[in-house]
Amino acid sequence: MAREATVRPSPMWRYRNILLGGLAVVLFFAAWQAIFLFVPFNPLFISKPSLIFWGFVDLVQSGELLDDLTVSAVPFFLGLGAAVVVGVPLGIVMGWRVRVGYALDPLMTIFYASPLVALAPLLVIFFGVGLPGKTIIVFSLAVFPFIFNACAGVRAVDRRLIDVVRSLGGGEWALYRKVLLPSVLPYVVAAARIAIGRALIGVLVGEFFAASEGIGFAISRYGDLFAIDKMFACILTVMVIAVVLTEGIRFAERSAFPWRAGQ
Amino acid sequence: MAELQADFATAGPADAAAPAARLWRRVEQTALGAGSIVLLLLLWQFLPDLVPMKAGTKLFFTVPSEIAGTLWQMFATGSIWAPLGVSAAAFAVGLGLAILAGLPLGILLGRSNTLNAMLDPIITAFNATPRLVFLPLLMLWFGLGLWSKVAIVFLGALFPLLINTYEGVRNADKLLINVVRSFGAGEWDIARLVVVPNALPFIIVGLRLAIGRAVLGVVVAEFFGAQDGLGVVMVRAASEFKVDVVFSGLIVFAALSLVMTGLVKLLEDRMSRWRPQRESGD
Repeated sequence: MAREATVRPSPMWRYRNILLGGLAVVLFFAAWQAIFLFVPFNPLFISKPSLIFWGFVDLVQSGELLDDLTVSAVPFFLGLGAAVVVGVPLGIVMGWRVRVGYALDPLMTIFYASPLVALAPLLVIFFGVGLPGKTIIVFSLAVFPFIFNACAGVRAVDRRLIDVVRSLGGGEWALYRKVLLPSVLPYVVAAARIAIGRALIGVLVGEFFAASEGIGFAISRYGDLFAIDKMFACILTVMVIAVVLTEGIRFAERSAFPWRAGQ
Repeated sequence: MAELQADFATAGPADAAAPAARLWRRVEQTALGAGSIVLLLLLWQFLPDLVPMKAGTKLFFTVPSEIAGTLWQMFATGSIWAPLGVSAAAFAVGLGLAILAGLPLGILLGRSNTLNAMLDPIITAFNATPRLVFLPLLMLWFGLGLWSKVAIVFLGALFPLLINTYEGVRNADKLLINVVRSFGAGEWDIARLVVVPNALPFIIVGLRLAIGRAVLGVVVAEFFGAQDGLGVVMVRAASEFKVDVVFSGLIVFAALSLVMTGLVKLLEDRMSRWRPQRESGD
């Protein structure tokens, strides 16, 4: 107790950052709302928070928002799931078997470095604008962070652990299961944070192209219709979802692997 | 285990094989890396001969030799320069603006706790959201010309630069700052003498990320809302089933991204040459 007193336990100070952040967000929206009192913006091109809010309520009540989100969520999670299932084992093998790493590393680097989104028009032609096309776009963007992070995770494994398992008679399979997979896990979670952003891009690209439903389609359609309030409502929804997903993973990382915090 | 056995086998019995084995060990990494790429290209090239394809599928299919021919044609006839120039202009202007805005803002946020606490949620939100989501809006605001592309590139490149600059500034040695300050330096001198030089490696990493994002931005912006540019050429080609043109465009974009990133890497090596190996921890 006495020690705490010396380190200034002021609650104001502890929550200062959160308070300031919240204040800034509130100020931002208030300023946005207020500026319309002074500047007569063309309502065709920009909306104000109050209208956006009612647009959002409208979208929720009619069920459109939920429908669009569901449609987009399916390829998002399928593609992301496939990326984990393919990327993590591939990355582990690339990191563990030196020669496989030699063989695949340059190839994967080329794929990772090139703007693969550029293949989206082709994928759309090949697989259509429905679920398969979108899932494949999401997968092809999201798989590389998993490969590279799993690979890096294996290369950082403590050699002594491997030696212990081997000297206790563990085979190759036991190594994968008992040492490699658990030590790779934090890296995979970190990869998920990156992959989520790329997967969102994949969904949006697929839906901007030629879809007939989904949140990306909703945004571009409301844009075409000059329904700016609803468009903003959808954009803000995507922003909130993106923040919740990435910050949620960051939080999970901090609580599950506290020794890796800040990496 | 297998590695170990292989090593014994090559180094063990016959001394005559040793030079060859040693040579192989030296080139193994390059050979395997290049080999897998060549293998993939060959497989792709001869896939039509190996797998029977329907006429409809053949329409969508292309082989590496065809892509190489198209790429060569595009450069030989010079038809690539006009769209590439348009794309490069959007890339350069957007990235330039992002550098101009991102570095000062990053330094400011790194030096001011209050400002950082206030802007943090907004920056986090924008950084977590794929910038693509703003594209329809930006197209409404800036039209289909250069500026909507510039805006998307700017938004994409800004945050890696800003966040890395911020991290670099945060990483600056407190002791050095105190020394400079006790010799009477103001905030400007601190930034110039300590903070910016210290943050440079971070800034360069940010620049490398930003280049990738910027290329991505150009590509996507041109896919959906532009009239000229390499991305537009690619989308048109895709809708006309000229798959070889699409791949040529992809290769050009990838090469652009690799060359720029390579240049930044050179810059990084050049600038970190004097830097002594730092002990970790403060």
